[in-house]
Amino acid sequence: MILDLHAHSIKSDDGRAKVSNYCQWIRTKNIPIDGFVLTEHRQFDFESDYSELAAKNELVILKGAEVETEYGHVLVFGVTEALTGEFDFSNTHLKLADVIAACEKHGAVAVPCHPGRPRVGMHAHIDTYGIPEGVRIVETYNGGSRDNEDEIAQTMAEANGYLGIGGSDAHIVSHIGRCATRFNSDITSEEQLVAALKAEEFEAVTFREQNT
Amino acid sequence: MTIEKLSDIEFGEELPVFDPDTGIPNITRFCEAAGWMGARFTDHEAAKKEGLPGALVPGIMSQGFLAAMIHRWAPNADIRNIDTVFRAPLLADQPAHINGVVTDIDEDTGEVEIDLTVTNDAGETRVFGTARAIIQA
Repeated sequence: MILDLHAHSIKSDDGRAKVSNYCQWIRTKNIPIDGFVLTEHRQFDFESDYSELAAKNELVILKGAEVETEYGHVLVFGVTEALTGEFDFSNTHLKLADVIAACEKHGAVAVPCHPGRPRVGMHAHIDTYGIPEGVRIVETYNGGSRDNEDEIAQTMAEANGYLGIGGSDAHIVSHIGRCATRFNSDITSEEQLVAALKAEEFEAVTFREQNT
Repeated sequence: MTIEKLSDIEFGEELPVFDPDTGIPNITRFCEAAGWMGARFTDHEAAKKEGLPGALVPGIMSQGFLAAMIHRWAPNADIRNIDTVFRAPLLADQPAHINGVVTDIDEDTGEVEIDLTVTNDAGETRVFGTARAIIQA
């Protein structure tokens, strides 16, 4: 099963895509993914229910979040109401260690995203803060990467023994599915996604050449 | 091929790629016309002294390129909104390629939504956004 683990909808301040149009795009353009995870910036979207849309399009639509730390942006999978009580998702100055600790406490997973990107990626902050404790997975394919950002991410992952996921980081409809993550198991819920990430049975994949 | 009416348009349709003229002479003409002169747009060395990687294509000029692209495709389109996110500077004298694709069609109102992406020769996205335009039925 292939899921795009990093996408934004109009719920994010810089997102311009309606979720229904993501679905229509995937089906019309035969994008080779089975679903996607909405990781809205600095929030968890409790109110939206995409189950009907997902069923209609035979896609998996899950929800996560993208938060901001001193090491840059971090995807959070397995968000629960209890987890949102542990730290303020809208705070742009979170401590990565706090986010990781809260995720561990509540059965979630934290994944630094676009780690090779200047300013908002983890690699740019290692010289200042050192290698962070507790990171197991980073995003090694990001659909919005420029220059050698993915290469930096992959080199860093290899050097530190991190596993890699892929996500499109789509903010507009036509960018969905540019990068994704292949899992060995079927995933239809956030709980199953977290379990698959913890089982470490996945690989990052890119479809950028086909989709651009 | 140009679009004249809504029924000519399909979801996922790609607009013809538009490669705008990002040369300094063209930018200078634009800045003079817009009353927006500034060395950061017309002089690479001056821009670098401001800490920029080179002279920039003004943001409003980029938006003009996007509007021009839509009108090349659908000359009668009534553009209601162009909403852009600048991910990286669009540099003068560097090739830029604008891609557009229809991602929503409202048959009732005649409004179409278009994804817009400005990329460089490496295929990296510098600017992305969406446009909304009314196309006559």
